[in-house]
Amino acid sequence: MTALEGARRPQPPGAGPGTAEPAPVADTGTEAGLVVRGPANPPPEPPRHLRYRRHLHLWSALRELWGARHITRTLAERWILVRYKQAFLGIAWVVITPLLYMVAFSLLFQRVAKVDTGGVPYNLFVYVALLPWMLFSSSVGSGGTSLLTNIPLLNKVYCPREVFPISFVASAGVDFAISTGVLGLLFLIYRFPPAATAYWVPVLLGVLVMFTLGVTLIISALVVYVRDLRQMVPMLLQIGIFATPVAWKFSQLSEQGQVWYSLLNPLAPVIDGMRRCVLYGQAPRLVPLAVGAAAAAVWLLVGYVIFKRLETGIADVA
Amino acid sequence: MSRSGTATVPVGAIRAEHIWKRFRPDRQRRRVADKLHQARRYLQGHRRPWSWALRDVGFALEPGESLGLVGTNGSGKSTLLKILTRVMYPHSGQVRVAGRVGALIEVAAGIHPELTGRENTYLYGTLLGLTRADVTRRFDDIVGFAELERAIDRQVKYYSSGMKMRLGFAVAAYLEPDVLLVDEVLSVGDASFQQRCLDRMREVLAGGTTLIYVSHDLPTVEATCRQGLWLHQGVLQAHGPVREVLDRYRRAVEERIEHTAGADDPVRLTSITCTGPDGAYVQSNEPLTVTMQLCSDTPAAAVLHLGICETPGHPILLLRRDLRLPAGSFPVTCVVEHLPLPRGSYSLWLSVSGHREFEGAGRKARALDLLRWGPVANLVVAGPELEPAPVGVVRAAPVLARTHWDHG
Repeated sequence: MTALEGARRPQPPGAGPGTAEPAPVADTGTEAGLVVRGPANPPPEPPRHLRYRRHLHLWSALRELWGARHITRTLAERWILVRYKQAFLGIAWVVITPLLYMVAFSLLFQRVAKVDTGGVPYNLFVYVALLPWMLFSSSVGSGGTSLLTNIPLLNKVYCPREVFPISFVASAGVDFAISTGVLGLLFLIYRFPPAATAYWVPVLLGVLVMFTLGVTLIISALVVYVRDLRQMVPMLLQIGIFATPVAWKFSQLSEQGQVWYSLLNPLAPVIDGMRRCVLYGQAPRLVPLAVGAAAAAVWLLVGYVIFKRLETGIADVA
Repeated sequence: MSRSGTATVPVGAIRAEHIWKRFRPDRQRRRVADKLHQARRYLQGHRRPWSWALRDVGFALEPGESLGLVGTNGSGKSTLLKILTRVMYPHSGQVRVAGRVGALIEVAAGIHPELTGRENTYLYGTLLGLTRADVTRRFDDIVGFAELERAIDRQVKYYSSGMKMRLGFAVAAYLEPDVLLVDEVLSVGDASFQQRCLDRMREVLAGGTTLIYVSHDLPTVEATCRQGLWLHQGVLQAHGPVREVLDRYRRAVEERIEHTAGADDPVRLTSITCTGPDGAYVQSNEPLTVTMQLCSDTPAAAVLHLGICETPGHPILLLRRDLRLPAGSFPVTCVVEHLPLPRGSYSLWLSVSGHREFEGAGRKARALDLLRWGPVANLVVAGPELEPAPVGVVRAAPVLARTHWDHG
């Protein structure tokens, strides 16, 4: 360590601290204002009592997140801008994607699988289910990699990191609103008015958003550590659309089966409920919905806690 | 945890106590085969060693103070900055940075390449905790400073690297952070932009912002910062008045070069002494006598260069002499009649280059290097201290001149 010896070389005669003001640190060095390291090396490891502990309290984390709501909003606006700025069809993609799915599903399932929709046009039957699914899948798909794709930004400024996945969920929410407008058009085209029981929709959306946020938070943090997930997420989402009653009817499962399925996949009772209250004029089935809501709440809570835990080390592996 | 960890600090103050940070040295390897290998070794009880990037670093800055952070590559400067921005968490120790932190780390300031300069400015402002109105108020200043009037609505990915850097600096420096961290940016801009950056840093400092500036360009560090902090391999070496810290750092860099200089050169320096007037210590504006003893393997026509350096390798003063070296020992004396240097500690660098006739000896490739350019002696000068330069004015090298002034 030759550089260290340099610190102990003789000083010029009378070379004092000159014009500089005294340093604010406790002076343990040889000259006024100058702190020089002692001859001893620091210990190979820090003493245990110095260990840095991040105090994570759910409440203060949430307060900090609330304080960062402007950031979340700005970021969400940016993602919307960025996503469609480059595309030739621009914002129209928000509408095109679910419509294409709808057409594909109609061709595939209506002709081949013959799902009994109980008098509802199959296109509406699918589109109503696709709306929540698209919110979920585009949130998880883009929000899941939000930390990874924003590493340059993460390495520059501090903000609660969850604003990144959350802002992606928010921008997916805007897409959701736009494609809901298209649903209105479909109602007109099919001359099929939405049912009065649609007032259940906010409750269903609440469950949907909780589950979506929870999954997005977990995935976005995990992806930074296990990059393989980045390849797996789109694949899992592809499978997920079939594991969710988008193209098929939830009631094809038994009563018991629906409850268990809701525990595993809270999207199922949400989508089933959407169909019931918007298309069939029924209330959502409460037991599966309650189970799904509880599962979604656990996902959100656990997801947030896991995220905040993993957040500490993100800059180290980024 | 230290007790002072709970005390409140004024906005703009920085407290760092016993900071430790470690990394896995081979994090980048993410191939499956590596992972399997690692997993097997892990199960066998081999744990990959940690390497410590920062070891027990501590310092404190009050609002409005300026700190220059120096050290060789890999000494932990950027890690320390990241910890101060709270982007990274320390392994041990306590950090408190009060107030908004504006950081210009990693020159690629293009925050989001798909967005325009304007959108980036607002985005960054929001991230710093400003409202849109705050950013709007400063927007013209930012654009003016970055000289991007015509490009501000262009996507940042179409910016040149200089434009990105200008925008990055302007945004960070004009959004009035309480603490401004600047990492190695001025080296990218052209000379006029560098000067404006320095001016802006001075303004920001005058406005009460705390500044931490990392650079290898020591004269600008000295011109900008009142305090210096020198890190080496993650360990704090010196912290205090910037000039003294930089002096120590320069000496250390030189010592390392000395160690790498080879002893197998065809011409060797066997002794060197520097004396001032009447054999006393060296003084400003007085004669300096450098007495050298050279030893050559073969007779050669040679050119001797003797330099006095403050920044290692970059002489303030370079003296040249043609010599005919005989084989064996050969004394050389050089007298500088009025040494134009202020008080301080410098180093003497020496090189001897050969003429063409040396090529015959079959050392074609390195024939012209008889004694490689390297530090050979310390030179400690006593005398008047140099007048301090105004903050933000970079003095490339300290030179003392006798002056006479007349006033109307």
